[in-house]
Amino acid sequence: MAMQTTVERVEARVPVTVMTLSGELDASNYLRLVDDVRPVYDGGARDLLLDLTDLSSISSSGLVSLYSILKVMQGEEPPDPEYGWNALHSMERDAEDGKTQEVVRLCGMQPAVAEVLRRTGIDAMFPSYPDREAALAAF
Amino acid sequence: MVDDGPIRGATSIRRHVTIPADLERVAELRATVREIGAGCQAPADCIGDLVQAVDEAATNIIRYGYGGERGSIDMTAELVGDDIVVTLVDEATPFDPTAAEGPDLSIPPHRRTPGGMGIHLMRLATDSMEHRVRPGGGNILTLTRSRVRRPKEG
Repeated sequence: MAMQTTVERVEARVPVTVMTLSGELDASNYLRLVDDVRPVYDGGARDLLLDLTDLSSISSSGLVSLYSILKVMQGEEPPDPEYGWNALHSMERDAEDGKTQEVVRLCGMQPAVAEVLRRTGIDAMFPSYPDREAALAAF
Repeated sequence: MVDDGPIRGATSIRRHVTIPADLERVAELRATVREIGAGCQAPADCIGDLVQAVDEAATNIIRYGYGGERGSIDMTAELVGDDIVVTLVDEATPFDPTAAEGPDLSIPPHRRTPGGMGIHLMRLATDSMEHRVRPGGGNILTLTRSRVRRPKEG
């Protein structure tokens, strides 16, 4: 398997669910990642931190899964994953609407992963922190 | 996976690998790109770019080129001067990603090409992409990235 996830509950100022992604997020596993988040939301979690410290690469499919995770955590249905730009367009529309979300945050991005988010403009959609400690302090 | 292993000459490093058209196997292409990148002392950003470009290209071939049919992807990666040149050969439906238009946000999303985001990333991660129709059917896609300078954006 190209990617593993672990989930833990951490008490910051509010209860934060930390999902750690290890390995490579690609077209073979991005839907599974979204499926992993659904029970987290259904279980009552409303603040999610994705710890990407051990994620070595992310493909365009992975970007779609990040956006889909955000939609799930906002209680909405994610876009059709087969249409990558459709998802991205939805993100841009949200950005234009001035929707700054703090439901899903990212931490520990490696340079290669950060570059992919930057090149697609998706970095602007997610509050991001250098490490888990800094992220938890921000909740 | 068929892997000829590294072929090291005085001026070249070369690797060749073949995978079936299976998204679960694309990781093997990424691993091979990382190996050759490390073997020719490419910086991390160069290796990351090539991993990205190969991932997106192979994913598109499997998803849209083969469309669920059986097939294979043959990848050769080699150092040519200061360029790392990766060639992907398939027998899928001919498709030229270099001719695909960039994202036009004025076009309704449902009219955009699925996988377009991947092609956008491939362009940004490489210095050049060349496509040829393979004699007998299929595609030959060549991705080139300098190991000494970053590709231009925009």
